[in-house]
Amino acid sequence: MYKLTGVTKEYQKGRSIVGALQGVDLTIADGEWLAVQGRTGHGKSTLLNLLGGLDQPTGGTVALEGTILGALRETQLTRLRAASIGFIFQTFNLIPTLSAAENVEAALIPLRVSQPGRKARTAAALDSVGLADRSAHLPSELSGGQQQRVAIARALVKDPKVVLADEPTGNLDEDTRDDIIGLLERMWRDRGLTLILVTHDTSIARRAQRTGVMANGRLTMRQESPTR
Amino acid sequence: MFFIAYLRRELRRRMRQAVFIALGLALGVGLVVTVAAASAGVSKAQSGVLSALYGVGTDITVTGGAPPPHYSSAGSTQPSKATPPSKNRDGETLQISPGGGAQICDNGHCVNAAGRTYDRLVPPYREPISASTVAAVARLHDVAAATGVLTLVDSAITYPANPADSPQLATFTIDGVGPRHTPVGPLAAATIRSGHFFTPADSHANVALVDSGYAASDNLKTGSTITIRQVRFTVIGIVTQPQGTSPPDVYIPLARAQTLATATKNLGGSVANTVNLIYVVASSAADIPAVQQEIARRLPGDIVTAAGGLAGQVTGSLSSAAKLTSDLGTWVSVLVLIAAFAVASLLTMAAVGRRAAEFGTLKALGWPTRRIVAQVLGESLAMGIAGAAAGTGLGFTGAAIIAAVAPNLSATAPSSTIGSMQQAIQAGGTALGNRTIMVPLSPSVTIGVIVLAVILAMAGGLLAGALGSWRIARLRPAAALTLVA
Repeated sequence: MYKLTGVTKEYQKGRSIVGALQGVDLTIADGEWLAVQGRTGHGKSTLLNLLGGLDQPTGGTVALEGTILGALRETQLTRLRAASIGFIFQTFNLIPTLSAAENVEAALIPLRVSQPGRKARTAAALDSVGLADRSAHLPSELSGGQQQRVAIARALVKDPKVVLADEPTGNLDEDTRDDIIGLLERMWRDRGLTLILVTHDTSIARRAQRTGVMANGRLTMRQESPTR
Repeated sequence: MFFIAYLRRELRRRMRQAVFIALGLALGVGLVVTVAAASAGVSKAQSGVLSALYGVGTDITVTGGAPPPHYSSAGSTQPSKATPPSKNRDGETLQISPGGGAQICDNGHCVNAAGRTYDRLVPPYREPISASTVAAVARLHDVAAATGVLTLVDSAITYPANPADSPQLATFTIDGVGPRHTPVGPLAAATIRSGHFFTPADSHANVALVDSGYAASDNLKTGSTITIRQVRFTVIGIVTQPQGTSPPDVYIPLARAQTLATATKNLGGSVANTVNLIYVVASSAADIPAVQQEIARRLPGDIVTAAGGLAGQVTGSLSSAAKLTSDLGTWVSVLVLIAAFAVASLLTMAAVGRRAAEFGTLKALGWPTRRIVAQVLGESLAMGIAGAAAGTGLGFTGAAIIAAVAPNLSATAPSSTIGSMQQAIQAGGTALGNRTIMVPLSPSVTIGVIVLAVILAMAGGLLAGALGSWRIARLRPAAALTLVA
């Protein structure tokens, strides 16, 4: 699925240059669940941004199914994200003015799905995360766990090949965290997704097939985990 | 539709800001509409004044030049001692006896004026223009039409039988006009209220058209008779001229006017087959200067005036109002519009900044930048449309307030104009003074102004949206999402 070769990412910070990633080599198999751990500021989110085509590496290559993302134009990357990559954020990132259903539907807008098709797929996605009865609610009318469920439905409604989750339980209490991780695990198993999940939580990381640890911009693979 | 639902929700979420932007645009647009309406009102008033002074639809007028030194004051009822009273065909003159009593003299035979009326028909204090000159002007290249008019004033003094009583002076102005209703001349813009206009058959008939104002004041109607220089004319029509004009009281066929004026023989020469004023319409506005120049070249002794030149000579509060609307009004409008555009742009930019996370998320979801830009432009456009609607309403309100509180405007025209000449004749015929006309200021909001308002407000909205869009286009998704974190 993914092949990262000598990936570096540097940021200009004032007059100095900060190396967020320093020569990351990584291969992620199709359908794999990879957890990435590490302390804040050590490059986890940067790695996720590069995997999602939201940013470009300073050096090295990120290839998704053989396509080097750095070689694509912005419009091509946008199309790739729309069709193949689902994002789940720590802060949910729901559009506050749109209802749960409309937030999920927003993911189908760039795919030019017909309106009836969008409605049907949105309803199915919300049903799959157990929020069929909350479709008309605004994010502000939902709990944190429910909001993250909506975000998961939004990530999955377009049937992506890969889901990138950036600390999806970071803002949730323990019970809700377990619900969400359980849901993600179920989706990963049922849909054959490639799931790359950034987390601080070791108990969550242990549920992944593999865990990598980011430290000072370098990635070290720590364990092999059970297969699907 | 997702686009509309998203747009509506976003505007509702930022209702206060949306209303603020729309009101800012509305204020600017409202001011533009008000100034444009006031400007249109001033232009209309100026047009009315020019029509009053000049004749509706007339591009150029030609009046006779100053008379030679021997030319007597035709209208004077009190000849100077140095100039003996001239005699008319009837041999009648008015003399003041050494004792102060008035006498009407006929071929040297004088009788006391008590109980009698001395009726004089007074042409203007200008050189007559021959009919052939009118025809020559009409044939000039780029002249669409030309017509000659003989303007006269009938002045009648009735001395009461009792010398202790004051004599009664009655004057009315007369235009001798061609019997055909033409698109140029004093009757060009007139409408007939009752009866009918002259026909070619009326060329030599004692028939008259009477202005509605004069008819009302003298209780005249179709079929009534009026007396001009002791000749009775039948009123065949009552005419109404556009508001703001100062029409003559009576119109009679040109040939009859020439005959009556000739009969008075008080010009020191014959006025048979002459006029004292030519109305000229050029083929197009662009031809006016050339036509004016050509007429002036051919008629060096006459006064050739164009409406454009006359407009520049009009002074008074109307002129001040025109300057106020064109200078101060325009600049204030422009400044307020710029301020409104700037505020709208800054607020939109700030809103885009606050929504960076939202746009970053949309980009992560695969929304193309142009789709996000369209969303922001749509929101800005909606605010622009709201601003246009409110601004047009404000403009109408402003125009209504101006119409309600603005005083009538005065316009003072120089003495070389037609109306002034006629007024001077009425005053005695020796001096031509300035003439002041009062005109109401009626601001009018035209469709064109409304379209302009809508375009301006939408342009303001789009400008604000474009600046916001520019910021969105530069927004890197990863950077936007970092802002969230």
